[in-house]
Amino acid sequence: MDEAHRGAGGSVSLGFAELLLILTPGLPAAIAVLWPIARLRPLLQLVAPWAALPALVLALVPTAEGASWATVGVMTGLRFEVDGVARAFLLVTALLWLVVGAFAARYHRDDPEKSRFLGFFVATMAGNLGLVVAADGLSFYLFFAVMTFAAYGLIVHRSDEEAFRAGRVYIVLAVLGEIAVLTALFMLGAAADGAPGFGTDMARAWGVVSEAGHAEGLAALVVFGFGIKAGLVPLHLWLPLAHPVAPTAASALLSGAMIKGGLLAWIRYLPPEAALPTVGGALIAVGAIATLYGVAVGLAQDDPKTVLAYSSVSQMGFMALGMGLAVRGGAAAPVAILAVVVYAVHHAVAKGALFLSVGVVDRIPLRRVTGRWKTWVLGGAALPALALSGAPGSTGAMSKATLKEAVYDLAPGLNGSLGIVLTAAGVGTTVLLARFLLLLMRRMERREGREATEPGSTERSASFLRATATLVSPWAVLLLVGVAGPWWLPHVVPEVGGAGPSGPLASWATASATVLGGIILACVVARWPAVLLGLQKIRVPAGDLLVPVETLVRRVGQLHGEAWFAGGDLPARALKRGWRLARTVASRLADRDLLLAGGRVVGCVLLLLVVGLAVLLT
Amino acid sequence: MEVMRAAVSAATGWTALPLLVVLSSFVPGLCIMLLREEQHALRTTLNLVGAVLKVLLVGLMLWGVALGVRHEWSFEVLPGFELTLVGDSLALLFVTLSAGLWLVTTIYAVGYLEGSPNRTRFFSFFSLCVTATTGLAMAGDLFTFVLFYEALTWTTYPLIVHRGTKEAVQAGRTYLVYTLTAGAFLMVGALSLNALAGSVDFQAGGMVAPEAVAAAPGAYTLVFLLLLAGVGVKVAFFPLHGWLPVAMVAPAPVSALLHAVAVVKAGAFGLLRLLHSIFGIEVATGLGLAQFVAGLAAVTIIYGSLRALQQDDLKRRLAFSTVSQLSYIALGAALLAPTAHIGGVVHLVHQGIMKITLFFCAGLLSETLHVKKVSEMGGVARRMPLTMLAFSVGALGMIGLPPLAGFASKWYLGIGALDSGAGWAIPVLLVSSALNAAYFLPILRTAWFDDRNAIWQDVGRGRWLEADWKLVVPALVTAALALAAGVFAGAPWSPLGWTRLIVERGVL
Repeated sequence: MDEAHRGAGGSVSLGFAELLLILTPGLPAAIAVLWPIARLRPLLQLVAPWAALPALVLALVPTAEGASWATVGVMTGLRFEVDGVARAFLLVTALLWLVVGAFAARYHRDDPEKSRFLGFFVATMAGNLGLVVAADGLSFYLFFAVMTFAAYGLIVHRSDEEAFRAGRVYIVLAVLGEIAVLTALFMLGAAADGAPGFGTDMARAWGVVSEAGHAEGLAALVVFGFGIKAGLVPLHLWLPLAHPVAPTAASALLSGAMIKGGLLAWIRYLPPEAALPTVGGALIAVGAIATLYGVAVGLAQDDPKTVLAYSSVSQMGFMALGMGLAVRGGAAAPVAILAVVVYAVHHAVAKGALFLSVGVVDRIPLRRVTGRWKTWVLGGAALPALALSGAPGSTGAMSKATLKEAVYDLAPGLNGSLGIVLTAAGVGTTVLLARFLLLLMRRMERREGREATEPGSTERSASFLRATATLVSPWAVLLLVGVAGPWWLPHVVPEVGGAGPSGPLASWATASATVLGGIILACVVARWPAVLLGLQKIRVPAGDLLVPVETLVRRVGQLHGEAWFAGGDLPARALKRGWRLARTVASRLADRDLLLAGGRVVGCVLLLLVVGLAVLLT
Repeated sequence: MEVMRAAVSAATGWTALPLLVVLSSFVPGLCIMLLREEQHALRTTLNLVGAVLKVLLVGLMLWGVALGVRHEWSFEVLPGFELTLVGDSLALLFVTLSAGLWLVTTIYAVGYLEGSPNRTRFFSFFSLCVTATTGLAMAGDLFTFVLFYEALTWTTYPLIVHRGTKEAVQAGRTYLVYTLTAGAFLMVGALSLNALAGSVDFQAGGMVAPEAVAAAPGAYTLVFLLLLAGVGVKVAFFPLHGWLPVAMVAPAPVSALLHAVAVVKAGAFGLLRLLHSIFGIEVATGLGLAQFVAGLAAVTIIYGSLRALQQDDLKRRLAFSTVSQLSYIALGAALLAPTAHIGGVVHLVHQGIMKITLFFCAGLLSETLHVKKVSEMGGVARRMPLTMLAFSVGALGMIGLPPLAGFASKWYLGIGALDSGAGWAIPVLLVSSALNAAYFLPILRTAWFDDRNAIWQDVGRGRWLEADWKLVVPALVTAALALAAGVFAGAPWSPLGWTRLIVERGVL
């Protein structure tokens, strides 16, 4: 986009790319706004799954980069722009929304609440696509909030006790996150005299803030606020609850696309120019711990979708680690950002495909399907699993190599210790995904058993072939895209070559070693039931740390839910009640059961923390 | 062309416009009082003609003010006591809000009270109530303000006790005790101010001379506190808020108007005048009084939200939410930065359109399905999706989520707090947002996701809509306004744009 195309007063003449840029958040937003009009809804339901199409085309047209568009009257002026990072994120985000949209249209065909689901679906899509192309702090926050609150509707779609619990945890954390983000935005806005644009404007705002000595605190707010969405340990509590209860299409989007919104926020709001050693170091440490923590807790899960959720926690740890390197600043920081972007793109495709494979297992019509379908589905699911493990020749190997390169460039002192953590987490990921495939197999067998007793219970459609095709083809597309990743990834993010100091050959060797090690470990565990038995006994409830927190909240709530303040508004009364509450809380805190439950989990966490820190400090 | 331009400039600059705006509801109000109960058509026509006429006249004034005209009309009642009506940009912001919302509320009230007794009395006082509101909005000095302020009390009382139940009469008594005491304080304050400063005219940037204040800080502080006690009741500051939740027994359109424009906004507007047109924010800050108001507002913000959290009765929950939200206006007005003033003043409008939407919806639910409690709202959105959609817009706006109107207010308040060095206000705003989320989001969840109540299936369906169109359409209109005010906040004709103009022109 050269200067000649820009009109006076900052307005930009509308080229093809600009038109697509407007439609990227505009089309899904328009559909969502029109949703309440009952008469239009049949039409909207047809269009909604495809609303991400303009975004995908935008990511693919060669003139996309540099396209920008600003509105004057909307809010305090919304700004959109496509840069390299936005383009990479846009490509996978739009792809996922499209593919999953097609999948969902089939998956929810017989759902009586299909209309409600699609309504929230398209609103969430507007938020997610909008934040990818947002060019300033306020626009980003707007779309981020839309995504966050609309996604609630997807999570609680099943509307049962479990779904509401997940929704409650999600929304409480989301509101806390919003508050932290808004505080940060106030401070940045006051520093920049209005909403700071991403890039130089943001860097300048950080300059003002750090002169006042608030930089590290502000950065901590940003990390916390967006870390909730990114599933940063220990803010990940909502993630393992929400994924299994949400419809499969929604979980694929949550893990594949939406949690990346938190990551993108870090990239946007924490420019390397801010140079924040403390927060950067903390992110590195927390990220490293998360990679192991996610695997450890994930291994103690029984639901394949929960396993995948914990795998996401672990994988987001890798990305948080990379972000930590970038946030510390320095000339080589862009290398770390590049590594994070590559990792995000890779993870989005792979994790989306893995979630869809659960959906395929649940819904594939079984009539006339022979025993071989299990092999095909399992074989298909193994592809993204291998990629996530970092198998040689996969996108996983590429992204891990890039990340290691960033570590080598930016934190040579930590090279050894982080290398060990990354390798251990890589092996752990392989074991975790092996467990996922086993659980998936068990789910297939259970489905076959159910089908044998009440045939055709899940399949009401007349056209068997069409049903299979519409359900399986979105999944197959994602698998193909994932497999072809090593070919297209360098085009999306041009600097990816893996030709850094570790070299392609060395990375090939480490990648093979990691995967092989994991597979051997998984086999060993599977081979010796005695070992397995020991592992089988360990069960951590989904949501791990949440359980003691919830118990505490519930007990306090039970004690005073109704009585609290009910009598009147005299401060004296409130004071008296407050005293009584404090006394009971203290006595309840000494409760044996609670201490035991809490102690177990805290013990686990402490152990992991110690291990992580020990590795880091060697 | 020339003729037309001359006509426009004559019409927009007509000095009697403020008087006509006041009369446009006063005259219909008096006429309605003379009608018989069964003259429905004539009564409704009078009401609507008055409401539409007022909107048109206000539109003319807005045009004039945008061109730079200042409308002023005064009339000497007694020697030395003038009734002054001034149409400057700040007054017009409030007048536009009341004129616009009065129109939609009139339509709503016609639908809501269909078939109930004593409608002549109701609509007559309904018009007089708005007359008082527009009058005090355009008051050019403190005496005119006090006059209309008291008139507002008297015209609202019959509306609150309209149902005539024991509860309603009790609520009316509480209301009178609070507001009449406040009125007395206000009167004494105004007289003392007149004695002390020799004038009670409102003036941009403050009427009292800083030197005079420096000479007698104690006396001026006392006057300020007297006046604050006067307006503080209607703005529902923490220990003075008791009347507001009790007044919930009034019919829904009254609550809607009470909480959005009429009574509580009169208090908030009075506070603006007190801080900015009488004392001036610098003087008030110098005396430490602005900080006192800000602190009081902060306490009320949190207290109101906490109390709202415990209410199961939907209208009571909304009432406590009003207590909390009004203090946003007070907080913004009391801080020492133009950005904070923008946030406070624009919230006067934003809170109005959002809260009136919420009350319209609460009235719709209770009128159509007899649902009055939050705990009875399970699945109500499946029966009344449009109503709950409007409610959701209002509720999410109250929490302050972008792109709704509430966010624009919160953004300016937050930036303003930092600009004025009052960083402590940020946690207050954010904790209040969290509490707002805590008492609004469960309502939305219950309504949208819980099980449908089968009894409702076909109860109270309108011919085209889920309920009487006269109730649904006003709610949808105000919800759309709340959305538009947030989405197009950057446009010059939005409430935010107009407020920025007010602050830029130095009217505040």
